[in-house]
Amino acid sequence: MENQIMNVVRRMSLVALAALVMVTGVLAQEMTKDEWQKQMNEWTAKRDELRSKLNTLQAEVDQLKKTDAEKAAAIKKCNDDLLALVGATPESERAFAAMLDQIDSKVNELSRLSNQDLWARKGEIDDVQKMIDEARKSKLSLIPKYYDRLKEQQNRVDALRRSLESAGMQSYTVGTWARDRDCLWNIAKKPAVYDNAFMWPKIWQGNKDQISNPDIIKPGQKLKIPPKGELTQDEKAAARSYWQRKQAAGSAQ
Amino acid sequence: MKKTLIVAGAVVMLVASGCSSKPNAEELQQLESLKAEVASLEREISTKESEKAALNRSIADKNAQLNQCEQDTKVVQERLKGM
Repeated sequence: MENQIMNVVRRMSLVALAALVMVTGVLAQEMTKDEWQKQMNEWTAKRDELRSKLNTLQAEVDQLKKTDAEKAAAIKKCNDDLLALVGATPESERAFAAMLDQIDSKVNELSRLSNQDLWARKGEIDDVQKMIDEARKSKLSLIPKYYDRLKEQQNRVDALRRSLESAGMQSYTVGTWARDRDCLWNIAKKPAVYDNAFMWPKIWQGNKDQISNPDIIKPGQKLKIPPKGELTQDEKAAARSYWQRKQAAGSAQ
Repeated sequence: MKKTLIVAGAVVMLVASGCSSKPNAEELQQLESLKAEVASLEREISTKESEKAALNRSIADKNAQLNQCEQDTKVVQERLKGM
């Protein structure tokens, strides 16, 4: 009995001792003062190093900001001098750039047209050419960015003219009434022309510069024959107006 | 014998851990503040480095613009002479 009690006490003592050792081990993992001091030293050194780096960076950024501002001022002065060289002001430059935008817009619009529609609006190609010629008179056109832009616009206008030429634009020399029975109606009816008499307004509108009254054409007159295709709105309107005038004249008689 | 060794070991561990001093709460807070300051400085440095890179790009761009303007001026001067 006494032995049994002693055994129990011995075992309990061993368990208590084991528990004490474990608790002590856990506590031993906490930071000691020496370790704290070591970490403080390390982090302080790191902080000081970063502060120094930040100060250096701040000085560099300040210097770069100054340089950036100086460069901006130099660019402004250079641009002002360049404008003065061609006798322009920022306002006149803006107006010039707006004119080039307008030319671009017009050329883009004409470039999207079919050859037939382009023919009907060929006068607008001449208008654009006039705008380009006008722009070239300005000394601003000597500045490379505008010079190159105008050159590109001229190339595009030239391409539009070539499109018209390559559309197979024919010409027809008017014969005499006695021999050829040439009038716009009969010319349009010829197989070599449109093979369709109702296309006569196309010849009229294509030759507005030399035909004011479509009933009057003269022998020897060289007419441009626009490309084949449906009548354009302008051509239809011209034909309507012609027939209305004819009717009005007939009623008056 | 075995029992004696166990007891001795336990005593050594207790002495080793219990006798060295530990930092107090204030000192631990001090260390944490230091770490937070370092983290904040690292963020500030990162921002400044980005700002520096952006300024370098801006200056390079302006240098190119300035060169272009100077070249344009020379070309215009030549063209004016030819007019």
